[in-house]
Amino acid sequence: MSERGLRVLAVDDERPIRRFLCSLLSSRGYTVYEAETGREAVEQARISGPDVIILDLGLPDIGGVEVTRCLREWTQTPIIVLSVREGESDKVEALDAGADDYLTKPFSPGELMARIRAALRRAAGLEKGSVFTAGDLTVDLAAREVRIGDRPVQLTPTEYTLLKVLVSHAGRIMTHAQLVQAVWRGIHYEDALHILRVNVSNLRHKLEQDASRPRYITTDPGVGYRLRTEHVAAAGDSGSS
Amino acid sequence: MRGASRHSPAGLRLGTSPTIDPPMPNFAVARLQRSIANWIISAAPPGETPIWGEELSRQRLSYLEALSLMALVTVASFAISRHLTPIDVVMFYVLAVVIAAVRWGRGPATCSAVAGAFAFDFFVIPPLMNFAITDIGYLITMVSMLAVALIVSALVAEVREQAETARTNAAYVEAVYAIAQALAETGSQDQIVKVFARHVVETFHWPVLLALPVRGGLATQFRSPEFAYDDAEWAAAVWAYEVGQPAGRGTERFPEVRGHYLPLRTAWGIKGVLAAQVGEAVHPRLAARQYRVLEAFATRAALALGRAELEQKAHEAQLLEETDRLQKALLNSISHNLRTPLATVTGTLRSLLEDTAILDESTRQEMLINAEEQATRLNRLVGNLLDMSRLEAGAVRVKPEPCDIQDVVGAALEQLGEAARCRPIRLRLPAHPLLVNLDFVLVTQVLVNLVDNALKYSADDRPIEIQVRETDGQVEVEVIDHGEGIPQEHLEKAFERFYRCGRSDGGTGAGLGLSICKGFVEAHGGRIRVRRGAEGGTTVAFTIPMTADAERHSESEDERTRVTSTRG
Repeated sequence: MSERGLRVLAVDDERPIRRFLCSLLSSRGYTVYEAETGREAVEQARISGPDVIILDLGLPDIGGVEVTRCLREWTQTPIIVLSVREGESDKVEALDAGADDYLTKPFSPGELMARIRAALRRAAGLEKGSVFTAGDLTVDLAAREVRIGDRPVQLTPTEYTLLKVLVSHAGRIMTHAQLVQAVWRGIHYEDALHILRVNVSNLRHKLEQDASRPRYITTDPGVGYRLRTEHVAAAGDSGSS
Repeated sequence: MRGASRHSPAGLRLGTSPTIDPPMPNFAVARLQRSIANWIISAAPPGETPIWGEELSRQRLSYLEALSLMALVTVASFAISRHLTPIDVVMFYVLAVVIAAVRWGRGPATCSAVAGAFAFDFFVIPPLMNFAITDIGYLITMVSMLAVALIVSALVAEVREQAETARTNAAYVEAVYAIAQALAETGSQDQIVKVFARHVVETFHWPVLLALPVRGGLATQFRSPEFAYDDAEWAAAVWAYEVGQPAGRGTERFPEVRGHYLPLRTAWGIKGVLAAQVGEAVHPRLAARQYRVLEAFATRAALALGRAELEQKAHEAQLLEETDRLQKALLNSISHNLRTPLATVTGTLRSLLEDTAILDESTRQEMLINAEEQATRLNRLVGNLLDMSRLEAGAVRVKPEPCDIQDVVGAALEQLGEAARCRPIRLRLPAHPLLVNLDFVLVTQVLVNLVDNALKYSADDRPIEIQVRETDGQVEVEVIDHGEGIPQEHLEKAFERFYRCGRSDGGTGAGLGLSICKGFVEAHGGRIRVRRGAEGGTTVAFTIPMTADAERHSESEDERTRVTSTRG
């Protein structure tokens, strides 16, 4: 997939961060637009029509969460949120408001590029195929079949539904609220959260080699779960530190 | 007007208890004498006790009683007058007046003396039932009887008043002593106000007010419900506080208000105002005595408040010193721990900018890897400092939700990344998903810190063990390493900030990790402990209540103190 010529809107009130994003993305052939404030971001998004938006949450005027809401009123352009370690609730809020992914500062260029690529792929609808594979895991949505290598895996209907939701948003972080909404709609949130934890645990026991060090369904503390697509084969992934 | 009896503690209710009880031979006459004497002396009505208040109705009653006694004597005399001469009867009248003087005081005695003289004339001296006196001898008898009665009653009443005064003096000396003693055991200003108010209400029978300075102004700390209170009263209080002189009734300033206001004077300034509202009907001389008692109370209160203030100041000075010491440690640690990685990163960058020609590829690579490691270390330190300051500010909010402990362990290992992946880590977890109400992010951070320590302080080939157990309503997590371990004598201090167990060498910690863990665990209402393994190594174990409504812990004031108390 060609990344050249794709347009990125970088929103951050810190000039050094914008400069870093600019040189990083330009060197990979992206065209970069910049915005310093939330209002500027919304305006710039209208004018330049970017393919992906990198949005800092701590903006001086209207916060990143609010910007996400504004943008989602009229565009589905992927939004990748930048935040600090302590900002779990902001992250979750932004994701629930429609952001596609998040990165914690400081982040590595490799991570950023991977997130951008994944977001672009999802936006282009390239992962809507009926068969999902990552490492040894194969999920055939048409045949309702789940396999690890050649071994078929038996899942309960709820586990399967949960896995299906994760698969259809593969690579993307799903917040607890989003998962509950997709699978256990109508159940009291606290109870649903309980059921979600149990089902994730069960899924891991069935899919993962070592359930306490999962490779497929990973946890983002305080945020949600993610079905990994990249890095699964390569064990040496440097997580966010 | 307040009833004296309502507020007098038994010991201070003057003259109501038969306290005069000298050892005497135990026969009937002596007992009778004693009981009569007691009746005469003891039943002084509180209306006559000037220190503790007066009661007009009581006073009226005592006049009535004195006159009744006189009437009784007259009836008796009249009944036996035919067997006795009037001269014999005279002594009964004098006796009645003396009894009245002892028992009810000067006024009723005088009244009964005059009434007695007329009754003597009317009922006893012939001609009977007539005020006319035919015999000049009887006139002399009657006049001398009146004179003797008046003089004796005056003398007796004076003695009685002196005794009364002595007794009340003793009573209020005792009261002041009791207040002084109670105040000596108090510490804070709040306690002083409480103890003082209780004692004053118990012993002093007039409505009182205690006002102390609060942030520059004067604020009422205690006020009897009956204390009449308006702007004029308050103006007197403020004047007394600002000028340091008594004000209000009985003084030259604000004599029109009802209260008497006394400044609480100490060597270090005015500490507040004490006031009392003595009833309007009370004689100024008696009121003045009340004010002297109030003054004694004021002195005690002033002393106690002054002392409390000094103690407070000393305590603050100590805290300040402690804070100062901690701050120095913090600055030292931060400057060291921030500058070291920063020096590496800056040096690497500068070298790459300036020495491009002389650096070969492998050197460049090595320098960059090193700089990256140091930048990561810097990031972790900043994170720890942030956690620490959030804990200190009481800003750590526990957001409990059902979490699978296995998930927490996995997330922690994931966060540790490469460091945890290349070391043998043995997990012992419950077979079934163990759901506990906890804050996922905070507990993950606790585990990250503990495992990170375990990795840092044990050799690369030694395994790390993580063990999760469910024990009586709690989940217990243990992180065990097989390194050198913390020396026994350092275990206690392991959770103190900036404490690095004597490792000032190449280790990368700032001594914050464990104290953050402690703060986070305690914010969950849990406990954390560290101990040495049997063959060396360190085990850190923390417990978190499974059923605890952690929300309560994060919200309550008491928890906030607990969280912030990890400072020391």
